[in-house]
Amino acid sequence: MGLRNWALRKSPWILHFNTGSCNGCDIELVATLTPRYDIERFGMYLRGSPRHADILLVTGPVTRQVRDRIVRIYNQMPFPKSVVAIGSCCMSGGVFSNCGKGPCYNVYAGLDQLIPVNAYIPGCPPKPEAIIDGVAKLLESMKATKRKEGTPDEPAQ
Amino acid sequence: MDWALGLVSLLVFPGFALMIALSFLYEWYDRKLYAGIQMRRGPLYTGPMGILQPFADFIKLMSKEDLTPRHADRRVFNSVPVIMVALMLTALTMIPVTGASGLLSFSGDIVFAIVAMTFFCVLVFLAGFSSMSRYSIIGAERAVLQLLGFEIPLMLSMVGACIFSGSVTISGIVAQQSGLWNLIGPPLLGFAIFLIAAQAELERVPFDMPEAEQEIVAGWLTEYSGRKLALIRLARNLELIFIAGLAAALYLGGPLGPSTDALAPVLFPLYFIAKTLFVILLLAFMKSIFARVRIDQMVSFAWRYLIPLSLVQIMITLIWRAL
Ligand code: SF4
Repeated sequence: MGLRNWALRKSPWILHFNTGSCNGCDIELVATLTPRYDIERFGMYLRGSPRHADILLVTGPVTRQVRDRIVRIYNQMPFPKSVVAIGSCCMSGGVFSNCGKGPCYNVYAGLDQLIPVNAYIPGCPPKPEAIIDGVAKLLESMKATKRKEGTPDEPAQ
Repeated sequence: MDWALGLVSLLVFPGFALMIALSFLYEWYDRKLYAGIQMRRGPLYTGPMGILQPFADFIKLMSKEDLTPRHADRRVFNSVPVIMVALMLTALTMIPVTGASGLLSFSGDIVFAIVAMTFFCVLVFLAGFSSMSRYSIIGAERAVLQLLGFEIPLMLSMVGACIFSGSVTISGIVAQQSGLWNLIGPPLLGFAIFLIAAQAELERVPFDMPEAEQEIVAGWLTEYSGRKLALIRLARNLELIFIAGLAAALYLGGPLGPSTDALAPVLFPLYFIAKTLFVILLLAFMKSIFARVRIDQMVSFAWRYLIPLSLVQIMITLIWRAL
């Protein structure tokens, strides 16, 4: 198990999904991929296909329109997998959370309403350093806890 | 004891174990070079200087969940990765590592080398087609288009080296170069064509349409995950060694070089590694200084420039030999 856990921590392949972001978080995430921050140092690799990815990076408020898609993409990823919510919108609905009373009519109050989330990166938008730090903390936490494997969680709702 | 020695040389050195270890090393070297040219550091924290990165990727993929899409053609989909690795390990036994000839050497083994590369493309097509996903089918079609474009210049450049050396065995071509490398002479043009076509054969960046990440997700690889993806990546790294080894054997004098009889078993594999690393250096440069070409540009480049050039190269070689 030691070798397997080591390999999991050393080679996190990421997948980026935009659930309705204002593009602020996306630009920061794209900046994270540039040579200046060079996340390949940690073995991270941006993959296009959910079948190849280990970590799903989600940006933006989760709209009702995108619900089915995000759940399907989550289910398409092979175990073991992790989800990171980037930005205030993705964590809690952010600026969309209190239009009048309660969350907006078209926005969920955070990604964890739909799928299990392993790490949250606050900020509007978070800096590339914060994103790298968040993912590194997630990888660090994998060392300690033995991660549960099993059937995909049913989406709430 | 003869068969035991044969088994060791097939399984350990210079056979399968060495090749698999080299495939991890070369992937790391390729990624480091690619990163260095882009002013990055590349893999850094996995082992000393990130040297264990490809190994970590392999172990991780091996331990991940293995998915098969519901509509895929199960039998083909599951067997393609294994056949790919088996094919490349078989083809690698023909590459000379410790002397003028590889583990297997027979008259016409260069034809087998061509067949192995073509068959690899057929397997890519089968992999994409059996996934039954839009993206993989588009990727598979592009792979076949690429095969039509670049297989012919690849073969013609190899034929040029054969004519120059007057032999159709890899060991014969290597032995003939014990004095002067083929590179120094008319096959130089053939070497350039071989490298360009090899880049397309390996689906590396200027010609990576079959898995163009920005257009068709991951091309023919889209539906592969876990163990099968690990095997496919291994097979492609082995193909990289195969093509680098073939280029070294055909144009750079194979593993031969200055040495004495006593030192030859140590020096020849080192020469082999040095020469293949040089070929990969050229391939990595090509990968990092060009952007991906369009499909129509790729086809017209192959048919309008590369094939006439490779015919010219054969003509020059024939005239050279006739003189
Ligand atoms: S957190 Fe801020 S930057 Fe990110 S999507 Fe929401 S509003 Fe835009």
